[in-house]
Amino acid sequence: MTLRGIAGYWMVAGFLLLAAVPFMQGRYVAIYGTQLIPVLCFAILALGLNVILGYTGLLHLGIAAFFGIGAYVAGILSTSGFPFGASFPVVVVVATLAAAAIGIATTAPTLRLRGDYLALVTLGFGIITVSVIRNLDAITDGTKGLTPVRPNFLPGFDDPVFDKTRPGWKDTWRGYPRLYFLCLAVLAGVVIFLRNLERSRLGRAWVALREDELAASCMGLNPARLKLSAIALGAGLAGLAGALFALSQDGTTEPRAYGFERSMLVICCIILGGLGNRPGVLLGVFILVGYDQIATPMIDNWMQEKKLNPNGKEYLKVSGWRLCIFGVALILMMRFRPEGLLPAARLKRELHPERDEVAGEAAAKLEAEDRGQRTEDRGQRTN
Amino acid sequence: MSAAPQAPAPGPLLKVENLEAGYGAINVLHRLSLYVDPGEIVTIIGANGAGKSTTLNTVCGVVKTRAGRIHFDGRLLTGTPAHDVVRLGLAQSPEGRKIFPRLTVRENLEMGAFTRRDPEGVREDIQKSYQMFPILEKRQAQPGGLLSGGEQQMLAIARALMSRPKLLLLDEPSLGLAPQIVVQIFDIIKELNQKQGMSVLLVEQNARMALKVAHRGYVLETGRITVTDNAAALLHDPRIREAYLGE
Repeated sequence: MTLRGIAGYWMVAGFLLLAAVPFMQGRYVAIYGTQLIPVLCFAILALGLNVILGYTGLLHLGIAAFFGIGAYVAGILSTSGFPFGASFPVVVVVATLAAAAIGIATTAPTLRLRGDYLALVTLGFGIITVSVIRNLDAITDGTKGLTPVRPNFLPGFDDPVFDKTRPGWKDTWRGYPRLYFLCLAVLAGVVIFLRNLERSRLGRAWVALREDELAASCMGLNPARLKLSAIALGAGLAGLAGALFALSQDGTTEPRAYGFERSMLVICCIILGGLGNRPGVLLGVFILVGYDQIATPMIDNWMQEKKLNPNGKEYLKVSGWRLCIFGVALILMMRFRPEGLLPAARLKRELHPERDEVAGEAAAKLEAEDRGQRTEDRGQRTN
Repeated sequence: MSAAPQAPAPGPLLKVENLEAGYGAINVLHRLSLYVDPGEIVTIIGANGAGKSTTLNTVCGVVKTRAGRIHFDGRLLTGTPAHDVVRLGLAQSPEGRKIFPRLTVRENLEMGAFTRRDPEGVREDIQKSYQMFPILEKRQAQPGGLLSGGEQQMLAIARALMSRPKLLLLDEPSLGLAPQIVVQIFDIIKELNQKQGMSVLLVEQNARMALKVAHRGYVLETGRITVTDNAAALLHDPRIREAYLGE
């Protein structure tokens, strides 16, 4: 309980810190701030997968496909090659709903599958989606991707032009720092929404379904509907994240960005941070994606500046070793802290019963009582 | 077939006729018929693999009915999915207890009342189950998985009662429990029946205990009902004594 409370405070503090980033002094603040925007998108994506994987326990290996669907819906609705020219709210809502609908449509036929089999189907779905995007030239523009994604902020109004008050600040709402603030606000909204959802009837039903499907259906829970609702919400959040991502990259980028590697990275974020636990998932994203996209180039630059790697040799660059470091870190993590950095209270109890003092005491007491009862029974029988 | 204790005015609470069910190519139940009157404890005894759990799982919709009909409380139940069966007033405590291991005891009870929309009544019923099982109140904040086997069984029964069922289906409540805990569990079942008038369909391998608390019994052998009678009569039937009571 206290651990969770602390995690809650840290989360508020973390959000305030992130909100303060654009106002910091420094040569590179604007550059790193800009790079943080996709990290915020990945955080929304990871929270979406956490609904499916963390709450409901469905191993979905193709979450990045929904991310891609969101991005391409944003592209189709706003690039000049199409007649839509939709505004930002329309783009976001349609991307979310489209991803959720495709999530439901692709999951409904597989509802009877469990565990490994579901994982295989979702893996296939992820791979097929990327292939379709790459080969559907007429709509998706193949490997080039759709660009530029520049919707109006509000329908029927011209976009406001902002003053460039600080170095690196752009004058449009689609640039740093307005988009940064926008993504941060959306992320905060998603976090609050999920917090309330976790405590709701639906949230508890998901957890019960994850714990035991047979028992859950004996309690009157409809497993099919619960699984579909989890997939719909998870895929919808992934679509929302994808739309924001496309906006931040001013295009859908190449289809590969929505492939298996991205799905795996998101799963790793969740497991590293703490399956099923919102603050943990966010921490995992900021550590892993932050390391991937911000820390490694930062260290490389620093080494270049300090003349540690004057010739720019590949094998001396951290970025060349980043996947290797990542793999070793994951192995160490699984060995020493399988429940993640900030685990959900329930999962922690299960993986480390010996650390849970209250539980340990309870178990000891239990045993003693059982023994007491037995002697009592024996006493009665002899009487 | 012996007469029921009282003439059931509106007919039996649960009536199963010529039920067939199974898995894959194999039929487990062959034209199985039984009934439970209101206020009765009825037990199905039989060896491993006789089809006891399949019978319960078919009644509550987890296993599909292949032929035959199930009537419950005057309604045709055949083909109703498991999650809707609960709403009609039929609660199952599944084999192996199936506690939600990471939910606390209280949360487990709350899940049992998932179909209900009266938070006040649910809270009252949780207090009632704490009165019936004081140990659950002591453990209410602990995860269900940390309870002892007997406590988990109590929790499973209490959880099933949270939906305020008309008929309680119990699948092997004695499974894996120490003998004195089994006695305790069966006392609870008897008390539920006598004080609250709860109707119970009880599936058990522990034939002696089951027949001691039940009003009537069915003996199930490879998916067929072979004997049915008053529980007391079955308890003294030499064939039953030899085959199921180990004498």
